[in-house]
Amino acid sequence: MSVVSNILPYAVAVWLFGAGLYGIATSRNLIHLVGCLGVCQSATYVLLLGLGYRWGSIAPIFYDHPPGTPAVDPVMQALVLTDIVVGATLTALLLVLTIQVYKRSGSLDPEKLRPMRARQGSDRAEGSDRGHDGKRTVL
Amino acid sequence: MTPRIRVALLALAGVVLLPGAAAVITGLPPFGATIAQYGERINAITPEARHVANMVSAINFDLRGLDTLGEEFMLLAAITGTVVLLRGRRGEGNTERALRRPGRAVIPRSEAVVLVCRIAGPLTALFGLYVVVHATVTPGGGFQGGVILASGTLIIYLGEGYAGWRDAVRSHWLDGLEGGGALLFTLCGLAPMLTGAAFMQNILPLGTFRDLMSGGLMLVENLGVALAVAGGFTQLFLEFMEETREADELDEPGEESA
Amino acid sequence: MTLGPSALLPLPVAIPLVFCAVMLATAHLLPGRLPDILATLAALSVAILSGMIAVHAADGPLVYWFGGWEPRDGVHLGIGFGVDAASGWIAAFIGVLYVLTFIFAWGFFDRTHGHFHILMLLFLAAMIGFCFTRDMFNLFVWFEVMSVAAFALTAYHLEKSALSGAINFTVINSLAGFLMLGGIGLIYAQTGSLDFEGIASAVGRGGRDPVVAGAFCLVATALMIKGAIVPFQFWLADAHAVAPSPVSVIFSGAMVSLGLFGLAKVSAVVFAGSDQVQHALPTLLEGLGSITAILGGWMALLQRHMKRMLAFSTISHAGIMLTALGALSPAGTGGMLVYVVGHGLVKGALFMIAGILLATRASIDEIALRGLGRGIGPAGFAMTLAGLLLCGLPIGVLDQGTRLVQGALWHQERWIALAAGAIGAGLTGAAVLRATGRIFLGLGPDPGDEGGAPSEDEREKANRPLWVMLGPCCVLLAFDVGLPASLIANATPEAASAFMHQPSVSAKAEGPAWLPWISVALALAGAGYGLFRTRLPKLVIRPLRATQSVPTRALELLHSGLIGDYAAWLAIGVALIASILAVS
Repeated sequence: MSVVSNILPYAVAVWLFGAGLYGIATSRNLIHLVGCLGVCQSATYVLLLGLGYRWGSIAPIFYDHPPGTPAVDPVMQALVLTDIVVGATLTALLLVLTIQVYKRSGSLDPEKLRPMRARQGSDRAEGSDRGHDGKRTVL
Repeated sequence: MTPRIRVALLALAGVVLLPGAAAVITGLPPFGATIAQYGERINAITPEARHVANMVSAINFDLRGLDTLGEEFMLLAAITGTVVLLRGRRGEGNTERALRRPGRAVIPRSEAVVLVCRIAGPLTALFGLYVVVHATVTPGGGFQGGVILASGTLIIYLGEGYAGWRDAVRSHWLDGLEGGGALLFTLCGLAPMLTGAAFMQNILPLGTFRDLMSGGLMLVENLGVALAVAGGFTQLFLEFMEETREADELDEPGEESA
Repeated sequence: MTLGPSALLPLPVAIPLVFCAVMLATAHLLPGRLPDILATLAALSVAILSGMIAVHAADGPLVYWFGGWEPRDGVHLGIGFGVDAASGWIAAFIGVLYVLTFIFAWGFFDRTHGHFHILMLLFLAAMIGFCFTRDMFNLFVWFEVMSVAAFALTAYHLEKSALSGAINFTVINSLAGFLMLGGIGLIYAQTGSLDFEGIASAVGRGGRDPVVAGAFCLVATALMIKGAIVPFQFWLADAHAVAPSPVSVIFSGAMVSLGLFGLAKVSAVVFAGSDQVQHALPTLLEGLGSITAILGGWMALLQRHMKRMLAFSTISHAGIMLTALGALSPAGTGGMLVYVVGHGLVKGALFMIAGILLATRASIDEIALRGLGRGIGPAGFAMTLAGLLLCGLPIGVLDQGTRLVQGALWHQERWIALAAGAIGAGLTGAAVLRATGRIFLGLGPDPGDEGGAPSEDEREKANRPLWVMLGPCCVLLAFDVGLPASLIANATPEAASAFMHQPSVSAKAEGPAWLPWISVALALAGAGYGLFRTRLPKLVIRPLRATQSVPTRALELLHSGLIGDYAAWLAIGVALIASILAVS
């Protein structure tokens, strides 16, 4: 039992990252992909907080307890705070890109999104659809 | 590559990495046994050195303040990016008409919702302020409080409707809040240099331990962060909300097409 | 805190941040060109300050502790900036690149209220912070700020391809960030410190440690993703090609090289004490670098979209830089740092020319542009010069870097890396020269495999006079050609040794003088084949065509643009790096 509890948080972190990566590799919906990226990020939270934990310690806030009481690692907590902000920013940007992709092409499927289409031979490139007319259904 | 090939590649990578991951996990100190020397040292000296009770705030705003500065501006960059990417297509104007999806009923706002929001809104704002102000004594801080304050503005939308929300929340003020908060934080870094101290060195009087006003320069930085985060997240909500409005005219071309 | 030259260290980071915050707060109040002026001033001040710092750092690295938290009893409590001469000069180069880019982008963005400049200034501050810092987590923070600013800038055009490119870029680089964070957590748990020196001494004291190797694997993967090394290079072509031209200048000129700069610093300073890592590095870096150099060069030849071609050529040159690191010597690292500057100058100029073509001729497709360059002759001269410099014409900073790199590899008898580097440079030069011939001279009526490459109709704002766009391009090329070779040759050995925290060495001899000429010859031959295909005898063409088709098709299939493929290759890449570390 103690062997398991020694390694469980780290094993969970590895599993979460793997699951998230699997989700990204097989995703058919951009919003699902953003969620999977969030799962990959949770792996880092679990890893960092697990590395900073100590049994029998209080939170690193010496308001109710006198300074000198064993506390968990505050540096890891500060790191995770930064990580959370990073996660929020990435999610926001990706969702914005998703909205724009949906407006542009009507589809949320990553398999249907290729940055550029291959040409046939030397003819002039076909235009991408731009300036299309108004009433599209949007989210 | 078909999804099957991708999964096969992932499985192959997983199999190859498994012994390495096992070696790393068993090589780490056992979970919960000890914490790093850096953290231990900070817990030991900071209450004395900076008169604050919240070690995490001390790290965020004093010991590793530069990281927080970078992170603050990263948030700014993401929100600026959001504004550019959403407004670039939509244009600067805003309309009052919500998008209607065919076949969906339009349910009028109920009076109970309005009442609850009018009670909950100011309470949330108060709670947000409480969290901001208690940065150095309890688990609080600029980030956490700023996000709560931003969510409070959404309660205005729920209770007053879109028109009320747009009246209360102005994009230009939000820009000012964001930029102003970030500027305050950066100046907290540069100002000590004018007195010969280091960048972001805590030169203000530190106050008494466990007092609300402890921490010196940390409190000013905390305020800057709270302003920037509250302004930034509200701006984010604003931009996303605008997407639910009916377009007045044809979507304008992006920033840079001819 | 004494007010010596080290007091300058926070300023190149703080000044752009202040400008950024002010411009954001007054976003809708700023009249017309004021954001351009402010941004250019900020970049200029960064360049000047970084130059001053670099000059002072020649006597010894400058160190600055933020918050006044100096190390106590061997525990590093605060974040430090540690700048040696090499880091200072790279920061100065980045500042100069930004000044010229802001001039190039003058008037490019009309309705932005300065948002473009806000994002670019933030990008600049993050790059300088990345160069200066000596704290692992601070490195990560600047890495993420760079990434987020880049994500927002890539999708500026809001075309469909720009959005997919931005999504691919964002997802892959975010995964890089997570891997780096995991690595930092592991190394912090094992060594108890976040400072470079603190970690280095703890790593040196410990023996063979799987956690240290695992941490290095994750951090190196993250930096190699940023540096677009095979098998992580897929995102670069997508993102780079669709970003606005001023942004592409910065991406290729500085951002990709910074990933490798970070890798150099981390492997030389932080993990210097780990024998396992140091034994794995030559094989790892040279192997991956050689593959990257050749793959990048080959793919560049297969492109008809100019910016995509230039993106692949950046990948190839990133591979060459990585092989230089694999030499694990001050000569190799010094050569790589000079190469970073030279490559940045030349590649920046090339992207500006691509921007000029987009603005004046409303297309970026090489085949569609055939012959249309005749009205903008000066741009043609610039592009020819840049193409020749890229493949190894023996003048200028890029060539000096190439010879230093080749010298370091020659002395260690790394023939594969040398050959791959020469071939890669030749292939990329061939692609650029072929494009020059086709666009400006109207040659090459019969497209080969590049006819089937992906492309897109694009244009950019055409409201700027030609000299505003061509001027910065020519200044970049002038810097490359004009910087005195003796200055660089004298400063490099000492600067490189200081960068790697190793004792000073004297200058090693450069590589054989004939090797760059092979690249030039290969480039001219390749360009000639591409342009004069119809006139060559069937005897020459048929075998070449036969060898090209199958690998070409395979490579193009791999670069599918689908995010799922990229994620699978990322996993394979991590597994590859981990296995190389495990067996050494």
